[in-house]
Amino acid sequence: MTLHAVPLHPVFVAEISGIDTTRPLSPDDAAAIEAALDAYAVLVFRDQRLTDDQQLAFSRAFGDLEETRGTGISKPGEQRLHPAFADVSNIGTDNTLLARDNRRRLYSLGNMLWHSDSSFKAIPAKYSILSGRVVASSGGATEFADMRAAYDALDERTKAGIDDLVCEHSLIYSRELLGFDDLSPEERATMQPVRQRLVRTHPGSGRQSLYLASHIGTIIGWPMPEARAFIRDLTEHATQPRFVYAHTWRPFDLVMWDNRATMHRVRRYDNAQPRDMRRTTVAGTEMTAPQAEPLAA
Amino acid sequence: MSIAITPIAGAFAGEVSGIDLTGPIATADVAAIEAGMDRHAVLVFRDQRFTDDQQRAFTRNFGALEQAPGGHVAKLNERRLPLDMQDAGNLDKDQRVFARDDRRRMFNLGNRLWHSDSSYRAVPAKYSLLSGRIVVARGGHTQFADMRAAYAALDADTRAEIADLVCEHSLMYSRGSLGFEVTGDEREMFQPVRQPLVRSHPVTGRKSLFLSAHAGGIVGWPVPEARAFLRDLMEHATQRRFVYSHVWQPYDLVMWDNRCAMHRVTRFDETQPRDMRRTTVAGTL
Repeated sequence: MTLHAVPLHPVFVAEISGIDTTRPLSPDDAAAIEAALDAYAVLVFRDQRLTDDQQLAFSRAFGDLEETRGTGISKPGEQRLHPAFADVSNIGTDNTLLARDNRRRLYSLGNMLWHSDSSFKAIPAKYSILSGRVVASSGGATEFADMRAAYDALDERTKAGIDDLVCEHSLIYSRELLGFDDLSPEERATMQPVRQRLVRTHPGSGRQSLYLASHIGTIIGWPMPEARAFIRDLTEHATQPRFVYAHTWRPFDLVMWDNRATMHRVRRYDNAQPRDMRRTTVAGTEMTAPQAEPLAA
Repeated sequence: MSIAITPIAGAFAGEVSGIDLTGPIATADVAAIEAGMDRHAVLVFRDQRFTDDQQRAFTRNFGALEQAPGGHVAKLNERRLPLDMQDAGNLDKDQRVFARDDRRRMFNLGNRLWHSDSSYRAVPAKYSLLSGRIVVARGGHTQFADMRAAYAALDADTRAEIADLVCEHSLMYSRGSLGFEVTGDEREMFQPVRQPLVRSHPVTGRKSLFLSAHAGGIVGWPVPEARAFLRDLMEHATQRRFVYSHVWQPYDLVMWDNRCAMHRVTRFDETQPRDMRRTTVAGTL
């Protein structure tokens, strides 16, 4: 098969044709997709009627998959999907819609904040692959921001000022922003902050990008309120309309993005309608910054 | 000289010329300024070399001065200015720049978030008047967002959805979002108050979005859902097309109507002194 890429935005994002993601990928196809991701950072594949097993097989062509167990707030037995899936739906294990005040729903509203998947892990995610099985009829777009273009557009003074900064990321911080503090001590223990560079260099393209996420709670060596105010300013810069693509979902769209070069978020949608989105995540292979020394027991 | 108000290019604000605000003001001029405020929501007066008393006297033309207690973590004996003048600078009583980790500075960083003055008071502020006594060379702009235009640009579904919503505002929420830790006594002082999300201007009748970083919840909504929605509305309301960015010159006086505009300060080099003094006209309802 031959991959064709048609740009959907002036600075990133392409729609891909010539690939059937339900079938085993040849090494050449996988390499062509990786090359397209290095260039475009976000790829849209239309009309991919994947089963969960097919999505797993497609995803594994790009590396090991992250397991969702041990992150977030779902307990074993509460998960609707295979442990390599992040369940980005509003549907419970009994296949009914989550109530308005359901804890998992309120927790998942954190996805409405700009973020990069798994930036709260010492080794953050490489790619995310999101399959729209049942899409919302109004709202629920996924927006992407190109963090390479955002970095390039910074003035030289700012670039010099942030070059060596290291941030702390944790799920606790992003949830706190929305006033979600209903976390058990065990959950908090799994959400201890990790360190990430604020500027990272992409191993494929060599391009520098801003590594931002709502999971950031502070900058090492800075007073927390000053760090947060600055991170908000950078996020506002990085998510200007000129760096943002809004993906309006059609059923069976498959969208694949590089978390090392983009942020994303979901927009508001009607919670009275089912939305079934299933994400697989290709694990990263390296840390962006040395971690803090573990505390002595 | 007679007073003239010129719209600032590409913005909703107006620039006023032909008036010296440091002396007594004719009744007709006060009326002209009020009319300009009703139209523009933000007015800029250049080169007004106020003393504090002159700034107070000018402010009283528009109503009673709001007193500051309950609005800050600085203790009374730490204040540089009396309670009827809010200190929007970065100087301590000895005119020295706050240390980087000074708690008063940390608190003031909340001014980098979009807000409406005193929205955390049961009776929120009418006008604010900010005098730039020492301005910084780079950054430190004050940005204003027109909440009437932001409301008018909402789609009909959203307008219907928000018509009767009531928000809870507190300094705890704006400071909490920056990770500023509030002590027990302060928590007592910062009890939330309720404000409608849509308000009508008492003179023009125009509706506006009453948003502020102090808004931390919507009555009857789960908190995370309320916060996510308020963030969306905030993003809508602060799009560039609704924003005027004021670049300060020394002795500018900028006056705004908190009932229909939000504002914030942009980042600046905080090793440089910045002396900005605000008087506030108390609201009446």
